[in-house]
Amino acid sequence: MTRTRKPGISRRSTLALMGAGAVTFAAPWVARAEAKTIKIGMPTILSGRVAQLGTSSRNAVMLEVEKVNAAGGLAGRQIEMVIRDSKGQPQEAARIARELVNTDGCEMLLDGEASSGSFAVHEVARDLGVLCIHTCSEASSLTADPKQHIPNAFRCVRQGIHDSIVGAGYAAGIAKTKGLKKWATCSPDYAYGRDTTGEFVLYLKKFAPDVEVISESWPKLFQPDYTEVVTKILQAKPQALYSCLWGGDLTSYIDQANIYALFTQMEVFAVNMADYTALTVVKNLPKGIHSGDRYIKTFPATPENAAWGDAYKAKYNEYPTNWSWQNATAVMFLNEAVKKANSTDGKKVAEVLTGLTIKCPFGADGTVTMRADDRTLVGYAIGWGTTIPQEPYVPDVKAGDWKTIFELEAEWKKSKGYT
Amino acid sequence: MTELQAGQGAQTMAPPRIDARPQRYRDVLVALVAFVVLALLPMMFGSKQLLDFVIRCAAYGLFATSLNLLVGYTGLISFGHGMFFGLGAYGFGLMMQKTGVAIPVAFVATLAMTFVVALVIGAICVRLKEIYFAFVTLAFQMLIHSTILSWQSLTGGDQGLRGGIPRPPFLGIDLSNHLHLYITSCALLVIGLYLMRQIAQSPFGYTLRMIRDNATRASFIGIDVWRAKLTIFVLAALFAATGGMIMALFVSGAYPEFAYWTISGEGIFINMLGGVTTFLGPMVGTVLLLILNDTVTRLTEYHGIVLGIVILFFAIGLRKGLMDFVVEWFAQRRGEGSG
Repeated sequence: MTRTRKPGISRRSTLALMGAGAVTFAAPWVARAEAKTIKIGMPTILSGRVAQLGTSSRNAVMLEVEKVNAAGGLAGRQIEMVIRDSKGQPQEAARIARELVNTDGCEMLLDGEASSGSFAVHEVARDLGVLCIHTCSEASSLTADPKQHIPNAFRCVRQGIHDSIVGAGYAAGIAKTKGLKKWATCSPDYAYGRDTTGEFVLYLKKFAPDVEVISESWPKLFQPDYTEVVTKILQAKPQALYSCLWGGDLTSYIDQANIYALFTQMEVFAVNMADYTALTVVKNLPKGIHSGDRYIKTFPATPENAAWGDAYKAKYNEYPTNWSWQNATAVMFLNEAVKKANSTDGKKVAEVLTGLTIKCPFGADGTVTMRADDRTLVGYAIGWGTTIPQEPYVPDVKAGDWKTIFELEAEWKKSKGYT
Repeated sequence: MTELQAGQGAQTMAPPRIDARPQRYRDVLVALVAFVVLALLPMMFGSKQLLDFVIRCAAYGLFATSLNLLVGYTGLISFGHGMFFGLGAYGFGLMMQKTGVAIPVAFVATLAMTFVVALVIGAICVRLKEIYFAFVTLAFQMLIHSTILSWQSLTGGDQGLRGGIPRPPFLGIDLSNHLHLYITSCALLVIGLYLMRQIAQSPFGYTLRMIRDNATRASFIGIDVWRAKLTIFVLAALFAATGGMIMALFVSGAYPEFAYWTISGEGIFINMLGGVTTFLGPMVGTVLLLILNDTVTRLTEYHGIVLGIVILFFAIGLRKGLMDFVVEWFAQRRGEGSG
């Protein structure tokens, strides 16, 4: 190769580069803050396809943290959130979680990771013994599986198994009334999609034994074109369709299925429809889609919940998501637990958190509980309703019964060998 | 091939004749010094972040350098090398979770499994040239990734291997102790790099360069090109799997993302950053990428833009990797000095 000009990097530039490298390594030590504030670390997904959910998690956390700080902080210590983007990669989530604790001096972790990332952060919590609250992962095994149990990790998230039980109960009622016997399913082809659909069908058949699944479709996650799935379902001519597609996949699916007038030919049950991220994005939201509640400011129909949704909207100019209320609840739990423990010591806070019930705008009866035996959230508002194309989108949500959820969840745990 | 083309190949080839022994001793010395320096780092700096950083460097460094054996030395642009990184992580993690064997046994067994898989995939892929080779390796990677996602009962699907990887102590080494894990990772990195260096500098390594420069000529002088390509494909897979095992130990799990095409993409990117014409180029690229990644994600969530600009700088500005640039720069300075 011939060179057209002399090498461009001077000795001075080289020194500048080396200086930049030194700053990179020194930054963590420089960044150590005074002990008066309490740092809480949060790895979450701020880029890529689910960035909107990660951002909504951060927004909700900041909304609550501002309230706690205005009221004097955690045991007199102002909270400083350190929030970093994991890009949805588990190895990055683990690295960032370790860095937040080991280098940035975070004393607690809010784990805003989904799926595999949450399991990676869970292992960091196991290794470092730091107090960790998972705020986004709905995978039931994260807390149901006893192999995952550690005294310092909690989950403040709704669960797939709870949604399936409530959804199947609701769907079975409609199936009996309207005589819906032939069902089809269409869910994303990965663990969440397969598990949630399997559990829904299991309980649907339990509540309505006449039901028969005549067609199953498993589109790939993030699939752009659903034509073949839609035509396959139409050809099977089911009376009802269940889907746990979510986010952009669900909205793409609805937009494409609308072209084939699918929603006029069968009853559709889409567990993840009633989230503002989906409701406000679909071009022509069909009337009468049955959906589980994700986050709707009208359910639970309490002034506290409506006020929280409005406050969020006023601050961020968009509605909260399902991840938002979960993250907000986690901060509420921390605040209450620290008050009760009168300490910010992770171990003491964890002891108080175990089995703690707090007042919460998102509770089915105005309270939510961190169940003691598996350190997971129960008692949150959960229900199903039907959509209309404008606000409030899901005007009448029928609440699920937590007693039934507990009974069937216990049976499910046994069947999985967890208890 | 025309005679003219053959003549051109001969010009570019011409490997220098080297007495290998002194160089080998020098490599051993460099490896020992590198290991001692790395082992002393925790005593000099108390930073746990630094230990994490070096462990990740070991995982990605072995992976990227092994990829360079294919890309830089043999001219095989593999887009699917990440599958062996994932296989290493899953093989080791599953072995430790399901069988409870000693760590060295799981290590060797994982390498043996990778060997078999790489042999089968390599036997199919290395017959192909250029873009066809790249795409078929990518296809195999996606096949393995899909298998990991679908075989839920074994792999845990998209949730990965749950419950942590057990690490029973062996020979006084307890890998659940972070310092022990650090030292072990450093040892694996140094040994891995040393072995790859020996491969690159051996007559076999020069055969690979000849295949890269002119495969037809190589086969004309009696080299079994397919066998040589397959050998390096399998060897590179073994080092990539070792990187995967280090990563599995670091995160105490294995996740489908480890076998996704993005890992292969990162490997290619590291090679672009560091340069493919020097042996240590990928290692430098690894350090550079990880520093960039860790610093930029710390400072901004718009890291994509920053990393994109860096890629553009290397691709359009330097038109080569950092080590290529540095080596040329020094060569030129020396030339000017003596001139």
